[in-house]
Amino acid sequence: MIEIDEDKLIRCPVCDAVNIDKGKKNSCRRCGSAIYHHKKFSTEKSWAYLITALIAYIPANLYPMLVTSAFGSREGSTILGGVVLLWEMGSYPVAVIIFIASIMIPISKFLILFYLLISVKYPLGKDKKVNKHKLYYFTEVIGPWSMIDVFVVAILAALIHLSSVEILAGTAATAFAISVFFTLLAAHAFDETLIKENR
Amino acid sequence: MKLENEDALNHYIICQQCYTLNEELPIEDGSKACCAECGEILYRYDSKLIDHALSWSITGLIFFALANAFPLVMIDLLGSEQFITIPKTIASLFANGFYIVGFLCLFLIFIFPLMILLINIVLFTLLKTGRGEDLTKELLILLSRITPWSMADIFFISILVALVKLIAFGQIHIGISFWALMAFVLIDLYITKSIRIPEIWMLRKKIFPKEAAA
Repeated sequence: MIEIDEDKLIRCPVCDAVNIDKGKKNSCRRCGSAIYHHKKFSTEKSWAYLITALIAYIPANLYPMLVTSAFGSREGSTILGGVVLLWEMGSYPVAVIIFIASIMIPISKFLILFYLLISVKYPLGKDKKVNKHKLYYFTEVIGPWSMIDVFVVAILAALIHLSSVEILAGTAATAFAISVFFTLLAAHAFDETLIKENR
Repeated sequence: MKLENEDALNHYIICQQCYTLNEELPIEDGSKACCAECGEILYRYDSKLIDHALSWSITGLIFFALANAFPLVMIDLLGSEQFITIPKTIASLFANGFYIVGFLCLFLIFIFPLMILLINIVLFTLLKTGRGEDLTKELLILLSRITPWSMADIFFISILVALVKLIAFGQIHIGISFWALMAFVLIDLYITKSIRIPEIWMLRKKIFPKEAAA
């Protein structure tokens, strides 16, 4: 017979099994994967990925995402420019989708992860009202959807490929793909058990 | 909270969404258990889970093959007809020097979705025949690692967005692959969202009860 505090129970990030938090060296009883619990470097990995994503997000917005060259004239459009163009063309739903996927989702992910990473180290007074587990789950769910713009560029570039009319992917496509990739990594690297500890 | 031993924790489950501890109770065939705090689905019970999963995975694989073999979208552009297939889309990224985006697309929309299907087929075949105790464990770990990275559904929405952008260029025809991809995406969503990985672990525990005793 063992007695444990309910707060000492953690979920394995790989197989979802319930485990007892044994401090530094945890390995899941079911799948054997390590449940990281490093007292000193708890959030650094996630910070590093997040900052990389943030840096990549700057060129992603400044450089053109799509370069359209038609009969000799080249024209580049940035992410925001593309949204404005679609709006002016009258395709409002698509403009909204691109705006949400490429601008709102990355920015809200940055803000949520910033908040989570800061609040698990330096708990703020009003933290108790926010369900941070739900917030984290939300970032995990919405995260991949910002890839939409990259895929769209890939499809357009592959399809419109004549000598007179051509669409090319721009520098921003690479930067944006890297940015999304690193926000996803940052979210995965975040240790959910830290939320529990600082509740 | 008192426990007999550590294995008694098998009867508990922590909600994915709000991290609330829930006790696992036996439920009726075909029903689902929800979190007491937030209502998120915790697990389902399906007595024919293996057969269902296996048949869905094989159907998914057939649609995946169809989606990759035929043209996705065709367009009449200045008199010449252009078309794309999924492999061609990825290959053209490499051809234009976008290696990073190319690799990301290759993995996110081709390799990972395919791997999930193949892992499911192997995994459930092994569980059905009751063999491969260690292999099923490794496969399950691999499966939960790659599931968040499979983006076939997002790619499908991207095609829809791309179609709207293409209207300005010329007449668009939708190919066979488009419908196959739609079927594949729906099956993929069903497999990854409704057959939850903890359920497969529970199933594995029932099939290989020895490990629990050891």
